[in-house]
Amino acid sequence: MNSNSLISGTLANLVQADQFSLMNIPSMVIEFLALNSKPLLQVLLLPGLGFILGFAIFAVWFERKFLARAMLRVGPYYCGGRAGVLQVFADFLKLFMKEIIIPTAIDWPFFVAMPVFLSTIPSLALLLIPFASNWVLWDVGSLSLPMFFAIMGIAPLIPIFSGWASNNKYSFIGAWRVAYMYISGEIPLVICAAGVAIMAGSMDLVKIVEAQQNMWFAVPQFIGFILFFLGIFIESERTPFDIPVAEVELVFGWRTEYSGILFGFTMMAEYVLFQAWTLMFITLYLGGFNGPVLMGMPTASHIFWLLAKFFVLVVFIILLRCVFPRLRMDQMIKLGWKYMTPLALLNLFFVIVMKILGVV
Amino acid sequence: MREPMIEPDVMRISWGPQHPMSGQTRVLLDVDGEKVHRIIADLGFTHRGIEKILENRSFFSGIIPVDRMAMVDTANMSIGYVTAIEKAAGLEVPERAKWIRTLVCEMSRINSHLYAFGLQAESTGYFPAVFLWTTVDREVLLDLFEELTGARWSFNHFFPGGVHHDLPDGFADKVLKAVKYLRGRFKDYWDAMVENPLFENRCDGVAILKPKDALKLGATGPVLRGSGIDIDMRREEPYDAYGDLEWEVITEDACDVMARTKVRYHEIGQALNIMEQIAQSIPDGPVKGRVNAFMRVPEGEYISRVEAGRGELGFHLFTNGTGNPYRVKINSPTLRNMYVFERLAELNEVFVADIPVIINSIDPWYLDSDR
Amino acid sequence: MSWLRKMLKPLMIVAPYVLRNSQTVAYPTERLMFFERFRGRHVFHLDKCISCGICARVCPDASIEMVEIEGKDKKYPQIDYNTCCLCGYCVNQCPRQALEFTDIVEFATADRSELVYSPERLMEVPDIEDILPMMKRRTEAYLTDKEMKYRKVKDV
Repeated sequence: MNSNSLISGTLANLVQADQFSLMNIPSMVIEFLALNSKPLLQVLLLPGLGFILGFAIFAVWFERKFLARAMLRVGPYYCGGRAGVLQVFADFLKLFMKEIIIPTAIDWPFFVAMPVFLSTIPSLALLLIPFASNWVLWDVGSLSLPMFFAIMGIAPLIPIFSGWASNNKYSFIGAWRVAYMYISGEIPLVICAAGVAIMAGSMDLVKIVEAQQNMWFAVPQFIGFILFFLGIFIESERTPFDIPVAEVELVFGWRTEYSGILFGFTMMAEYVLFQAWTLMFITLYLGGFNGPVLMGMPTASHIFWLLAKFFVLVVFIILLRCVFPRLRMDQMIKLGWKYMTPLALLNLFFVIVMKILGVV
Repeated sequence: MREPMIEPDVMRISWGPQHPMSGQTRVLLDVDGEKVHRIIADLGFTHRGIEKILENRSFFSGIIPVDRMAMVDTANMSIGYVTAIEKAAGLEVPERAKWIRTLVCEMSRINSHLYAFGLQAESTGYFPAVFLWTTVDREVLLDLFEELTGARWSFNHFFPGGVHHDLPDGFADKVLKAVKYLRGRFKDYWDAMVENPLFENRCDGVAILKPKDALKLGATGPVLRGSGIDIDMRREEPYDAYGDLEWEVITEDACDVMARTKVRYHEIGQALNIMEQIAQSIPDGPVKGRVNAFMRVPEGEYISRVEAGRGELGFHLFTNGTGNPYRVKINSPTLRNMYVFERLAELNEVFVADIPVIINSIDPWYLDSDR
Repeated sequence: MSWLRKMLKPLMIVAPYVLRNSQTVAYPTERLMFFERFRGRHVFHLDKCISCGICARVCPDASIEMVEIEGKDKKYPQIDYNTCCLCGYCVNQCPRQALEFTDIVEFATADRSELVYSPERLMEVPDIEDILPMMKRRTEAYLTDKEMKYRKVKDV
């Protein structure tokens, strides 16, 4: 498979030790690149490092400009031409050069490690999403849907650890608010995903997308569609569900004590989680990479359709930030347990009935 | 401040001066989980000694610090002091000056209520849209102030005996245009914010203040009128031109945060009506009597009460025949409303997430509670 | 269904705001025109002043001091902008209108002593184009029924 060819290529080159000389290095490199071009492209560009970081930078810039327009002002204006495109780079550079203040009374291994984990662990889950029929970076076959939820299940623990490690009353409140929110919000999502898997007949994400070629799963499972859409907000802590990081009540929730590049990591983590869950939502309910083939290149057009749906959804989610205020914690718990879980079970019931009757 | 002892099983959070939303105050919250047991307000961070400053300044010079007691609402602050001095000196204010004063006071009131509206929206998490729209709308009013008086915020336009400048040419048309613009914007605010289901979720039934408690604890302003009691200083002791104009006192019966927000919303509507009436039918005449910047005032004790945007503002003026006042006691609305805020935790069940919503429904402005 | 309409109504109202004009004045490339009564820095007319000293007496912050200047034997006002609050009493009370307001608000300096303006300095009014070399146009605000717009008055 892909990973084997990476290792085999390198080892095969190194084994030819008797022909090893400095003149062979360029040809070794070229052979390495030629054997592993596609995995390298996937790791570096799409859906790997380039896509994640590029989206984070683009989304920060776009959100600031879009919200500024909704607030009747201009966003970043001076840095990098009138559109302010270099502002995000300037901010990241500034954060790198600032001092990371670590108070004495905190638990500093957890404190320093947690933002880094929060930025990288959801990226692992992002690699499971198929961008085309043969463009999956981490191909685990029929375990991909449970693997996504397993990795994303670690995501709530990280703010809880960092909130506890910060030794600060605001962070502590933010930490147990994270616990409450994820407990009540994640169960309906898993049930909805189970419904999708039953309707598609498999837990492999590629097969789920291919089963939606005639009709997107949003249409027969509209309840699950709406619940999973709410789930994007709950899991990535965006307004109207950014309760753990309510800036007007707690100073910055579990992120209060972070400064310097650790703060940059927590900001980036929000966008990585957002990206992962939105792509999963599109894969499960909006047909994934399905779409008419353009210009006779199926792989490229599949990638194009997935990215197009993704950007439309990103704009809509950012717009919803301007429109609705935040929920309170007890309203969120009531929503999760009294409304979302029974509706998710109802959705599952419908799916099973439709499957037994052979309708879909 | 000597803080009371912390009970067991309770965490004391300092919702303190280093906070994105607290303003210039510190509020200590005794928190058990998400429920707040007790609120202790720690005021005094912006104490400037205005009452003492006023003793060393002449009457004219003293209007300037009083203006700066509430930057969003300056006209209503200075009209109190000026009315007290006029009572002391027995000065008569010309008719046109009274109408101009009412116009400026009502524009200040709209300014103050818009700011409170914006903060209320921000405190529920609705930060991006409404707070900056109110800032944009206040620019219209600030441009009107600049055209009339020369300064945007702390214009000292009133003095005992009249106003400094007359209306410039074409000002009445500009006022009518601004009224039309603001009326169009208010429809947007009602639909996008007050009727927003999530905003109603945050504000309905929160921090109920029954009428009996409101009277007993000394609430004032929209806090009192949101509990159904109609007391408004502009109607009880009419000053300036309020007796000649048609307007209503707004009360709501629901007694919660939403009721206070609606009271402020409808008060802006009433203020726009008053502005329209003034711009259409202001009488002619002089705007100032004889100006004596170093006036002396006979000895005595004089009280004036006005209705600022936040509540009833009182000036108790002691004079002793010289050019400076002997003592000025300022009775501030925010101080009394903060006392009500402290007792709200005993009367209702308050969550930590409700604290910014409640405090912005009371609409404190710490510069006038600390003077 | 009415609940759904109530949820969608804020969306319908907020979304068109993205397409409106922004209300930002891009200072310092643009500068607003101020109204004629605007209180900026003072300007002093030496030929009108009669040295009565009312401005110094009425100033609430005691920012005006009557000082001697060379070549004249009367005293003229010196304004200390460290404490001047631009209240306008000196302009109102001057019997000959020797002190007036301009619309210069850019007089920040690096040294506090430079903010004390002697009468000779108060007499000169520099051009806005000299103070702000990066300014490109002057704009003014006007109000329509729906929004406040900014239009260009003149290029610089």
